[in-house]
Amino acid sequence: MRLFNVRDGIVNAAIFLLDTPKKLYILSIFNMHTGPSKIVLSQTGGPLYQQIVNQVKQKIAVGEWVAGEEIPSIRQLAADLRVSVITVKRAYLEMEHAGLIVTQHGKGSFVAADVAAGPELFEQEIDGHLEEVARLGTTMGMSEREIVSRLRKALDETENAPVIPKSSKESL
Amino acid sequence: MNSSRINLAVVRHLILKDWYLNRGIILGSIPVGLGALALVLTGKPVTFMLCIIILCMVIVGVGAQLAFATTINERKEQTLAFVMSLPVSWREYTAAKILANLIIFLIPWLLLTAGALGVLLLPGATHGLLPFTAIMAVEMLVTTTLIVVAGIITESQAWTMAGIFCSSLGINVLGYVFAHLRGISMHMWGTRVQWTSTACIILICELLTVPLLLGATFYVQSRKTDFL
Amino acid sequence: MNNLSIQMEGVSKRYPHFFLDSISLELREGSVLGFIGANGAGKSTTIRILMGLVRQDAGSVQVLGHSMPAEQTAAKLDIGFVSEDMRLYGAATLRWHMSFVASMYPRWDQAYADTLLRRFDLKPEQKIKGLSHGQRVKAALLLALARQPRLLILDEPTTGLDPVARREVLGELMSVLTDEGRTIFFSSHNTLEVEQISDHIAFIDRGRLIALDEKEDLLDRWRRVRLMVPPNAAVPQLPGVVEVAGTERLPVLTTSQFDPAVVSLCQNRGVTVEAVDSMTLEEIFVANVQSRRELQPA
Repeated sequence: MRLFNVRDGIVNAAIFLLDTPKKLYILSIFNMHTGPSKIVLSQTGGPLYQQIVNQVKQKIAVGEWVAGEEIPSIRQLAADLRVSVITVKRAYLEMEHAGLIVTQHGKGSFVAADVAAGPELFEQEIDGHLEEVARLGTTMGMSEREIVSRLRKALDETENAPVIPKSSKESL
Repeated sequence: MNSSRINLAVVRHLILKDWYLNRGIILGSIPVGLGALALVLTGKPVTFMLCIIILCMVIVGVGAQLAFATTINERKEQTLAFVMSLPVSWREYTAAKILANLIIFLIPWLLLTAGALGVLLLPGATHGLLPFTAIMAVEMLVTTTLIVVAGIITESQAWTMAGIFCSSLGINVLGYVFAHLRGISMHMWGTRVQWTSTACIILICELLTVPLLLGATFYVQSRKTDFL
Repeated sequence: MNNLSIQMEGVSKRYPHFFLDSISLELREGSVLGFIGANGAGKSTTIRILMGLVRQDAGSVQVLGHSMPAEQTAAKLDIGFVSEDMRLYGAATLRWHMSFVASMYPRWDQAYADTLLRRFDLKPEQKIKGLSHGQRVKAALLLALARQPRLLILDEPTTGLDPVARREVLGELMSVLTDEGRTIFFSSHNTLEVEQISDHIAFIDRGRLIALDEKEDLLDRWRRVRLMVPPNAAVPQLPGVVEVAGTERLPVLTTSQFDPAVVSLCQNRGVTVEAVDSMTLEEIFVANVQSRRELQPA
């Protein structure tokens, strides 16, 4: 947990008192996570809100964003990413439902204190994806054998994917 | 904000804008005005009439040029959208165009008219010419007002050029007609200032035409549904 | 705190060869509305009516709480307007334009204007006629942004800009929105950028508003469904289908009301669902327009 300090006090005062251009300038000086958020969107990467959710999950998984840490407000992120506020809102809502973040009215948005980081996060995601595959497959009328053989094919194709190192929970 | 009152501060800014953008034309009219005044003040009767007529046409010419630059060009250069995106309604726009043009015209016009009338009042001058000179001077004012109004309302090069052409023709025709009206020609070359009823009526009609034209402009502008 | 920035109701305007037919739309403060339409569809007319530059024949227009065109002067104090066919005075410098606009807008922020000069790489002492098209657009936007408007009305703000300039401009527009009270209404041909930054989207075609939706809803509802129909089965009647393309055995359905249940519906009829593709905003717009034009040939 970060401690409240003088820097935060100045920044919060700036947010409250100044108009937008000066606000952005002050915030960029202090280079909080309210600065350029280093989430990178692609035009061909699928639905924008989904890209945001995925990248936030990855940031949490690798420890870039830690439990309890403040994350950019919806409007701030929308401005950084040049994306509509509604899209970011949707991403935040999904992440809230998934227990990844919490939004406190009037205070801002934070990574959930009890969020599962690292591999556990991806494990949850894998389960989710597997369930989705099973559902889609049966809906499309594929047999269990067919689904499994396709999974094997996918595994063969991703042999060279990077592996996220397992970190011990105590370090959080 | 009361929407039917004119915002004078805005009008002032628009006038200053037009003066700044057309400072070339305006500054160019100064030597013309001074030259006109100088020639008139020499007081020679022979060249007097001739000079007056020529110089009146030059002044109206400058007035017409400014009218063109401030009205037609806004549409031609597509800057009308920029002006109208400012906190400006058709009222301020129209008032500003009228004032910007007429004020610039009035300065040399007043100088010239005062100078001419002053010369005519000097001892030994042909005082009888005074009514005719006054009538022709106001005719200049009416003509210029007409050109400015045509530019504002039509915003069309063709129509305004037609207006300029007719006005120039009009000055000459009316000058000839007035000079030969009995009420005026009788006393023109005399040594007394004689305001006959004919002369008075003509002068008053001319003077009334100006506010009529301006009022008509505001009325027509208010009926426009598409300002762009 | 969530007022309506724009409220149009039943707005109509008749021209000799064009009829703007009963446009009704609302825009909440703090949001972005992207307005998409073909050339001549009525985008510019609608925008001019919003600005009070054209008086509507019927219907009411409220912008920032002011009735247009009657109260346009008051409204325009809080509006920044840039239009594609708008020009600045060629013989004057950008510096002159800045002081001219500043003299009319009490909220003009010179510090922000200077920041924008740097960001847009503009030289204030340069005459407008010496600027390239992209620089002119950026200059006009600077003049609109530095007056701190509550509402930005933009008619094709990025048309004619190179991709880098477009990114700068979009970035600047979006940064405006970190203030919740600011709203953007813009029309564009560039469906990618509309898809990216808009909260709401409106389609206009031939003077009619043919769609007005939240962007995410729109992108969720429309799908291309690729089917494989066996010889003895028929193409199922799916809801909201606007187009059936492909062949009889391999049809491709474009639907505006996709629901995951549709997939099982097809299964039950013995029809295989090969793929369900989402559609880009451009594809949605074109499909929408084409289906309507087929129903109502001009």
